[in-house]
Amino acid sequence: MRRVRSLTLTIFSIILFAVFLNKAPELLNGYWQRILNLIAINAILALSLNLIYGITGMFSLGHAGFMAIGAYVSALLVLSPAQKNAMWILEDIYPWLLNVNAPFIVSLILAGLVAAFFGLLVALPVLRLGGDYLGIATLGFAEIIRILITNTARLTNGSLGLKGIPAYTTLFMSWGCLGIVLLCTVCMLRSNFGGVLRAVRDDEVAAKMMGINTFKVKVLAFTLGCFGGGLGGALMGNLITTIDPRMFMITQTYNILMIIVVGGLGSVTGSIIGSFLVTTMLEWLRFVENPITIFNFNIPGIPGMRMVIFSLLLIMVIIFRREGIMGMREFSWDIFFPKPKAKSKAPREKSETVLEVQDVKLKFGGLSAIDNLSFNIKRGQIMGLIGPNGAGKTSAFNVISGFYKPTSGTIKFLGKSIGGLSPNEVCKAGMSRTFQNIRLFGHETVLQNVMIGSRIRQKYSWWMTLAPFIFTDVIREDSEVKAQAMDLLEQLGLEAFADEEASALPYGAQRRLEIARALATKPEFLLLDEPAAGMNPQESEELMNFIRRLRDEFDLTILLIEHDMKVVMNVCDYIQVLDQGIHIAQGTPAEIKANPRVIEAYLGAGASEGGAA
Amino acid sequence: MELNIFVQHFINALSLGSLYGLVAVGYTMVYGILRLINFAHGDIFMLGAYFVYFATIVYKLPWAVGVVLAIIGTTICGLLVDRIAYKPLREAPRISALISAIGVSFFIENFAVVVFTGMPRPVVQPPILMKPIEFSNGVRLIPLGILVPVVAFLLVGALLWLLYRTKPGLAMRAISFDIETTRMMGVSVNKIIALAFGLGSALAAVAGIMWALRYPRVEPFMGMTPGIKAFIAAVFGGIGSVPGAMIGGLLLGFVEIMSVAFFPTLSGYKDAFAFLLLILILLFRPTGLLGEKLEDKI
Repeated sequence: MRRVRSLTLTIFSIILFAVFLNKAPELLNGYWQRILNLIAINAILALSLNLIYGITGMFSLGHAGFMAIGAYVSALLVLSPAQKNAMWILEDIYPWLLNVNAPFIVSLILAGLVAAFFGLLVALPVLRLGGDYLGIATLGFAEIIRILITNTARLTNGSLGLKGIPAYTTLFMSWGCLGIVLLCTVCMLRSNFGGVLRAVRDDEVAAKMMGINTFKVKVLAFTLGCFGGGLGGALMGNLITTIDPRMFMITQTYNILMIIVVGGLGSVTGSIIGSFLVTTMLEWLRFVENPITIFNFNIPGIPGMRMVIFSLLLIMVIIFRREGIMGMREFSWDIFFPKPKAKSKAPREKSETVLEVQDVKLKFGGLSAIDNLSFNIKRGQIMGLIGPNGAGKTSAFNVISGFYKPTSGTIKFLGKSIGGLSPNEVCKAGMSRTFQNIRLFGHETVLQNVMIGSRIRQKYSWWMTLAPFIFTDVIREDSEVKAQAMDLLEQLGLEAFADEEASALPYGAQRRLEIARALATKPEFLLLDEPAAGMNPQESEELMNFIRRLRDEFDLTILLIEHDMKVVMNVCDYIQVLDQGIHIAQGTPAEIKANPRVIEAYLGAGASEGGAA
Repeated sequence: MELNIFVQHFINALSLGSLYGLVAVGYTMVYGILRLINFAHGDIFMLGAYFVYFATIVYKLPWAVGVVLAIIGTTICGLLVDRIAYKPLREAPRISALISAIGVSFFIENFAVVVFTGMPRPVVQPPILMKPIEFSNGVRLIPLGILVPVVAFLLVGALLWLLYRTKPGLAMRAISFDIETTRMMGVSVNKIIALAFGLGSALAAVAGIMWALRYPRVEPFMGMTPGIKAFIAAVFGGIGSVPGAMIGGLLLGFVEIMSVAFFPTLSGYKDAFAFLLLILILLFRPTGLLGEKLEDKI
């Protein structure tokens, strides 16, 4: 009902807008048409950079470079051989290039594809970097692209640029392109794949543990964003009909960055509103640079004043409303209406031993974090891993779950060696974990957090999410996954929180949500890193029952790191003890309690003798 | 290559590199403390050049006075930028301060266009700095070429002394490790951050003045490219490290001058080399030459 209503309203507004565009040439003069065109183009550019930065969290300052590629590709394809002949004065154009020609639409698609191809080339090496370094490297690439364009005169006419590009960018063209880009983006971001993108932004480590190949996801998002950059650049070139390398300096990227910051990082609606505001504001402010006559006073134009006012406004937005206009929220028709009141277990083949750790060593430089760790876990066991601080417990978890590669030794999971696999591969093999310092996707809802855990079992590919109305698998699988996630939340008593933001949950519920998310990957083996940390005695009492229930209801084998000895001794079938990386003891809880080496490790030398006397 | 020519290139590279280094030190100090790329730093450098231009050429003050006034004026501007545009954003996500920095950069550049006009203005060099000194083996040098690196090295040396031998220096290094803990040790964090901005701006002013003398002109956008290059230099050297910034600057200066000296046909690609080198360094040694490794704790 709500969806039908929203869809009707959306289609109705699109038709209304199309009628307006149709009449626009009569209603508006050339100047306003141009602004309307620029709004659409800037919106495309903003959406594509927002996909890279706001949604997926990759700080890229290279957009101008990809715009340049798109603009040149399209311009070279639509210019006629006669125009090209006349334009290349300093050096001769490559003969093959002279006669290359394509219709505008084809040139747009090719512009996007070539930009995306370069984006892919850049992404593969550079996305291994994070944070500001990524920003600087992408800025460097954009500059290199610009310098290459300036210096390959036979291909690009160098610093003279290209003139007389046919003005093919009509209102229908620019807004049509925006419509398609918007539709694809919204569909993709609403699917579970969109959740995956945001998960990578919120917490890459946790996303890996959900079985997500985060590098691949980042490369994909970056490449898609570059496609948008190329498309926007091409439309821009065909609007202003002249391009040269100096158009695509870092300032161009800053402009787009401003649009998405003003609108709200990570918000699609924000990008649209931002491009509307920033574009009109920049045009409107031109008046301060033109001489004006008020009554009989002549006020001379002041060159540079436009950007002075603009930059001051920008600084004020950042200082007083730094989340931008929309924050991370999105537009929905529902805001105009009052709000209405608002299981699968397969038998598994039994293999006796789930995990075999054999002589595992882990060294950081000269420091030995784990020295010769060996133990086995049998199916259905709850195994404890204990030891004083710095004993190497979390390091052991990190080795087993694939975050660190063991220096030597073997780890077999369900009979297969997993030493050296990455976390996402380990997850696919049927292992999942939680983290000592809770790592949720904080900006996502509780339900979305759990759904991301199910992404590895979904069959549809990312590109289908661009058009779910054609590839209905996306809608079907997403609704299945949503139902399963709701089930899971109910089983763990979190259903009341389903639509809350994960970071807003109370501490204990966040811990349970992290477990729910881990369970959504359907693991056979679960690693829990200090689940009782920060809990009061009553809560840890509940936790003990919860862990036993997990094992029984979800058919799990569990490895548990815990400092709370009451929890460990009560819940574990068997315990391994580490001290300073050395495996000092193993046994049943009763044996461990009586083991002098364990007491010594916890209380210091002499304690065990004292206790005995 | 003739000895004289080679020495010329060498001195050119040395002085260009030490100018990059001086600007890079400002980037690296602010980044080390606030994890903020101060995009406005290149424009602070431009202000230094303009101030000295106005003091000495327009108002005909003696050079010594003009230089002192320009350094003081630029330092005040640097402090104002921190106070107005960055301080309110200390607790905000880092991107906010970064956007603010971009805004400040736009503001200073365009404000300069409004006040100084966009026209490049020629700088009249003091003749004493330009009179060539002739050596017996045919090498000719102008005093300016030697003055620039000497001043730069002295200033960076003084800065290192301040960082490693004085209390404010200790506080500055402590903040770059952990700002909250340093605050709890009773250090007035905002004052120390202002000190970093002030020192960085003063060094940028000196660099701007010497830049204006070497390429004798000033214009509102003169800080953009040297600013980005100096930031690259800071990344080269390992961002957060002051000696690293100087080494990075020198390295960049030599790469730029020598690549053009030995391969004149590739001079159009000069800037591309700097960026290519940057990307290679980032890929194979992401923390630069002297930088420390930061790891995400799981």
